[in-house]
Amino acid sequence: MNQQKQKGMITILEPVGRNLGLTLFAMFALFPLIWMVICAFKSDAQMYNTVFRFTPTLENFQAVLVGSDYFRAFFQNLLVAGGAVIVTVIAGVPCAYALARYNFKKKEDVAFQILSFKFAPEIMVILPIFLIFQKIGIYDTYFGLIWVYQLITMPLLIWVVRGYFEDISVEVEQAAQLDGYTWYEVFFKTLIPLIKPGLVASALLAFIFAWNSFTFPLILSSSKVQTITITALRYIASDTVHYGQVAVASTIAVLPEVIVALFIQKHLVRGLSFGAVKG
Amino acid sequence: MAQIELAGITKKFGDVTALRDIDLTVKDNEFFVLFGPAGAGKTTLLKTIAGAEFPEQGLVKINGEIVNHVESKDRNVSMVFENYALYPNLSVYDNIASPMRSKLYKKEEDYIEKAVDKVTKMMKINHLLERKPSQLSNGQRQRVALGRCLVREPNVFLMDEPLAHLDAKLRHFMRGELKEMQTSINSTTIYVTHDYMEAMSLADRIAVLNHGEIVQIGTAQEMYYTPENEFVACLFGEPEINILQVERHTDGGKVFFRMPGQNVSLYPAEDTQKSLLEALTDNIHIGIRGNDISFAFEKPGEDWIEGTVYANEPIGNKVIMTVKVEDIKMAVTCPNDTAADLDQKVYIRFNMKNAIYFNGETQEFITRNNMMRYTKRRREG
Repeated sequence: MNQQKQKGMITILEPVGRNLGLTLFAMFALFPLIWMVICAFKSDAQMYNTVFRFTPTLENFQAVLVGSDYFRAFFQNLLVAGGAVIVTVIAGVPCAYALARYNFKKKEDVAFQILSFKFAPEIMVILPIFLIFQKIGIYDTYFGLIWVYQLITMPLLIWVVRGYFEDISVEVEQAAQLDGYTWYEVFFKTLIPLIKPGLVASALLAFIFAWNSFTFPLILSSSKVQTITITALRYIASDTVHYGQVAVASTIAVLPEVIVALFIQKHLVRGLSFGAVKG
Repeated sequence: MAQIELAGITKKFGDVTALRDIDLTVKDNEFFVLFGPAGAGKTTLLKTIAGAEFPEQGLVKINGEIVNHVESKDRNVSMVFENYALYPNLSVYDNIASPMRSKLYKKEEDYIEKAVDKVTKMMKINHLLERKPSQLSNGQRQRVALGRCLVREPNVFLMDEPLAHLDAKLRHFMRGELKEMQTSINSTTIYVTHDYMEAMSLADRIAVLNHGEIVQIGTAQEMYYTPENEFVACLFGEPEINILQVERHTDGGKVFFRMPGQNVSLYPAEDTQKSLLEALTDNIHIGIRGNDISFAFEKPGEDWIEGTVYANEPIGNKVIMTVKVEDIKMAVTCPNDTAADLDQKVYIRFNMKNAIYFNGETQEFITRNNMMRYTKRRREG
């Protein structure tokens, strides 16, 4: 009897404990975001002397969104990050295929070189790039930013997709060719569907990285092309810091990422864990 | 259908030579088996014909036409890959239909449906059409791969161990189906296997490969009765042929042999005397198969050799008894009710009429009894 009772207690306590733990973790993880959203609704006057009890106001939203170039920066950011990902996919997939399939001298060195672009801190290369960009006249242009964003987006995609290509046995390609398909048909009809999970996951991750990029647009663009990460800084003025407005700017800037993350989270875990294409 | 010719094919992977100077002609409508141990170059040879690998040297000809520079899709060959090479994203039906949907070999959907139905019924996988390859067992995948190969009407079927992963019963059945199909649709087939029974039962001719070179080409009979060397002799037959190292002695122009440490003389058959006398060495190896050794548990006569039972394995229709004479082990095929205790004394005698003689130094074939009978075919062929 006693044992049964104990068992009953455990079956009740276990989910309670688990949910309590998860709630605590969720609070810990989400707190900065919640704090940011709260700040967005506070007036500058109440910023420092209140915590949760304040008079909500939309004046920050008004200041940031109405009559400013915030949306221009938003779409420019979209254009630069999106453009960078498109270029990465078009150039990176064939590159990954070549690294996976063909044997050439120093192949592993080339592959590692590509990956090492990702290690290097942006700040290390930014000065020479700045000078070069000014010299060849692509400073403060879409082209320049999309180009330099390849440093952020390309290595990740190449390494993930290469792993996918390596997982597909060469015989599958050979079989498709024997079936009478040209190499291009094999590539687009057989290989692309097989690497799709990895391609989608790494492309979206690359998009998030590009979207978040701060150092490159800070130095390499000014008034013509402005990304949202830089625009959010503008509310830190020399006389005072408008934390409320910074909070609004970042809250909206985060939205696409949240949407993308919700949309891909299932694919992301599966897509980035290799070996999902075994037949 | 077509005749396949290979002339002086050499293929290297880095420093490794996978194929060395291969000359081979597979005749129209022939069922040709490539046989050899793992790593002999069988698969590479098949892929060279398919156009999936390109040889460093030599010519590949299909119907007399050099195809070295013809892409594999234009060679019109159909192949079963050893690792199946199915399209993981397509269903079984679409996998099998794939060759009939390419621009090059396009067929109507009605035709495809009938063809897929026919081939999947034959292979008993017609209940799996909607499944993805990942949901199949290895044996089922292999049958899908075979089905994708068989729905076509190509110049040549290339099959790389297509039955290796099927269970014994199904393999036996499929072997029959393949042979039947081959005769009914008149196709040239090149078939890779490492199972000697499959090779012998299916083949019109067999090529034995080792280390990227062709050791012998011939019919199953020739392989079994007149192997070119000890390597080939050991590949065919179960239990493996016994190779005895003996010394050659002559007595008044007659050759006889003695096993080291035994005083029983072994007298070869009359018509092998001349070749054996002419052999350039006294070191002779005698190949003798398990069913050409008689045995008795009580000594029947002076010309029987004494040994002990080392192992006794019943395998259904027969018993393989391993007899140890001094340090030499020999496999003897016995009737299936033979019972023996380990280390029991046993007496054996060789049926020298069926012995195959090899040069002990080069391990090359010297002669055997009744050569005429076994080589007649070879000359006709």
